[in-house]
Amino acid sequence: MSSVAVEVSRPHPPGFDGRRFASNAAPAAIALAIGVALWETAARIWDQPFFPPFSAVVERLAELTAEGKILTSLVGSLSNLVMGFAISAVVGVGLGMLMGAYRKVEMALDIYVYAMLTAPSLVFAPIFFAIFGLGRASILGVIIVYSMFIIIINTVSAIRGVSPALIEMGRSYCASERQLFFKIILPAALPLIFAGLRLGMGRAVKGTINGEMFISAVGLGAVVISAGRRFDAAAVLAVLLVIIIVALIAIKLVQIVDARLTGWLPSTARQGRAGRAAAPG
Amino acid sequence: MIEITGLAKTFPARGSNAPVDALKDVNLTVQDGEFLTILGPSGCGKTTLLRMIAGLLPWDDGEILVNGRPVTGPGPERALVFQSFALLPWATILDNVAFGLELRGVVKAKRYERAAELIDLVGLTGFESRLPGQLSGGMQQRVGLARALAVDPKILLMDEPFGALDEQTRRLLQEELLQIWEATRKTVIFITHSMEEAVLLGDRVALMSPRPGRIVDLVAVPLPRPRAATVDAIEGSAEFAKLTAGLWRQLREMQLFRRHSAQGRHRSSEPAA
Amino acid sequence: MSSVPSSHSRSLTGGGIRPPSFALRDHVLGSAWTYRLLVLALVGGAWEFYASTAKLLLVPTFTGTIRGIGQLIVDPKVWTAFLISNQSLFVGFGIAVALGIPLGLAAARYRRIEGFVDPYLSILLVTPMAALIPILIMAFGVTSLAARVFLVVVFAIPVVIVNSRAGVRQVDPELIEMATSYGAREREIWRKILLPGALPAIMTGVRLGLGRAVTGMVIIELLMIAVGIGGLILNFQGKFQAGLLYGVIVLVVIEALLLVSLVRAIEHRVAPWTSQTVLRE
Repeated sequence: MSSVAVEVSRPHPPGFDGRRFASNAAPAAIALAIGVALWETAARIWDQPFFPPFSAVVERLAELTAEGKILTSLVGSLSNLVMGFAISAVVGVGLGMLMGAYRKVEMALDIYVYAMLTAPSLVFAPIFFAIFGLGRASILGVIIVYSMFIIIINTVSAIRGVSPALIEMGRSYCASERQLFFKIILPAALPLIFAGLRLGMGRAVKGTINGEMFISAVGLGAVVISAGRRFDAAAVLAVLLVIIIVALIAIKLVQIVDARLTGWLPSTARQGRAGRAAAPG
Repeated sequence: MIEITGLAKTFPARGSNAPVDALKDVNLTVQDGEFLTILGPSGCGKTTLLRMIAGLLPWDDGEILVNGRPVTGPGPERALVFQSFALLPWATILDNVAFGLELRGVVKAKRYERAAELIDLVGLTGFESRLPGQLSGGMQQRVGLARALAVDPKILLMDEPFGALDEQTRRLLQEELLQIWEATRKTVIFITHSMEEAVLLGDRVALMSPRPGRIVDLVAVPLPRPRAATVDAIEGSAEFAKLTAGLWRQLREMQLFRRHSAQGRHRSSEPAA
Repeated sequence: MSSVPSSHSRSLTGGGIRPPSFALRDHVLGSAWTYRLLVLALVGGAWEFYASTAKLLLVPTFTGTIRGIGQLIVDPKVWTAFLISNQSLFVGFGIAVALGIPLGLAAARYRRIEGFVDPYLSILLVTPMAALIPILIMAFGVTSLAARVFLVVVFAIPVVIVNSRAGVRQVDPELIEMATSYGAREREIWRKILLPGALPAIMTGVRLGLGRAVTGMVIIELLMIAVGIGGLILNFQGKFQAGLLYGVIVLVVIEALLLVSLVRAIEHRVAPWTSQTVLRE
């Protein structure tokens, strides 16, 4: 008999596709180049100490790098970021799963998660400062407050969003609760969990910098504060450039892991999820 | 053999919705190796009934016996085929077909072997390492069928399995299902809202009333078996036309009756001429 | 998670009337507030225990914080501080909404500039805007309202733009086709189809923008310009008045929640035809 072989939307294969990367990156590169050109001309015309031209910023960045300042503080910030994000991710996904699976846990915690998400996270910095003093632990605390809660709610959403038909199918084949969780719910929830992790990474970067600016001891944030005190606008912007690049790379890394683990998601659904990235808060 | 006696189910009130009497006094006996189709209007509770037989939904009154033993939950002798296919989108076709066996702890080599057999049976050889997202609807449902057959159930429960497919694919799959069933002779309970499908596939057609659902008629389908090779002839036959027309007459009456009684209530509130 | 009601094992074996339940007990066990208060009691208890045994200078007890809040509410200086901070909030937020929504709509309308605008929006969303604070102070001066307003705008505007754009983009193209087929011109399509269709997402953007505006308001005060709420926090921190410090933090969180709830209420009135927000926060 005839097998009607129709290929429906092809899921993106995991891994690096050089050609697709180039065609996606080209317009962005052009846009950024135009922006830089505008920046340069505007800054030269409107000569203000707080608005240095792009060239001056790059120059300052080279100087700072040569002095070794950038590298040490970058390493400091990165280690804060990685540790803070790791803790947020593990605890956040874990709590999110508990809340997603057990109604009672969700009922107990949902308003607190929502409150922590809505409140300006940096207000909690003094609390960590009070307990841990000047140092890394306080910054980690700030990073966790910044990023954990968005990871939690996206994980809860992910678990609840699993298609009931799939779960029922599992039950009909006599799956145990454990099998249902590991073989159906977890894989099905993975895409949305990763959306939460991606947003969480964006927030973690902010938490790192803001925390470092408040505690003002180590890292890129501290460099920004001290440069600001010296009215060195070029240095501030130079560090900001580094921060932006770090943020974009970090988020891209999350996306790469995401693509490897959820390569089965068809491209239309992927677009829908990209829309959700629009509000990291 | 499946024996259902006095089955009733009411869904409790939820939020602002009133409680729903889904089924009331359902009585049905299905013989071994029989292909029974259940036909009824939308919302009559046929899916609810199937889920109860599958052991996925509790009921309020009556009993369901499978081979003399009461149903207490899902079991290895019953397998479900879903209207929405319910395939794991992240797993290959091979893994999907082997899923039921995997849940039972069958070792990889054995379950892949069995899965490969069934993939061949439904005509999907060569697609083992594809993902469901890369297959058409008809092919996905074949995977669903293969998965159900892989666990070698005695009873196949099919919930409008071709309802999400276009007409042409549906017809092809009906022929294929007949072929497979004639080779394996499982007991099948097949839910449909199409009279043609009910008569073409079934040995008997159980007609369900609108909510609260009851089995109001059991129509025997004396068309000869096997049918897979002669589907066109069967659909053209006078017997077929008579059976489908009769079923439609009954269905239409059931639903028009409801509309008329609703209108009657409405009319009586108008002022007298 | 379970699609089968908990009466599964009982009634599946056929029939039987369930025994009458103790209504109040069921109500309490089923109510969310029971669990929330339980969590509050647990956390409050742990906090009380930790604070009294650790005796850290800047960590008040739970009861100490409650007392602090009581003192703060009656102090007119506190209200003045909140007023000062909120000035920048409302002006900044107003500007962000007034500029952001049209910008977002324009970005959706002129698809051709999408490639140009996208990279900048992505960067804006992940950049820790707080790093710009030194620049703003150089530009506007340390004690200025302008610096604070600018930062609030810069914090809030990206989410407003992105959500407004997304709102227009997700309007069903068939609706636009339908309107065109009935002879509607561009202005009418905007008025009757695109704006109402985009309204829920725009409101989401407004709500998220408000959250970020509150963050911006507090951050600049915490990090550089010690006025208003930030000033209070730094002041109490410096004087080791722990209960008052934590009290202010709680009040800020409450303000953020109240404001966002207000926007949610407006959202429901203005756009009641969607239950789900388009974009996940």
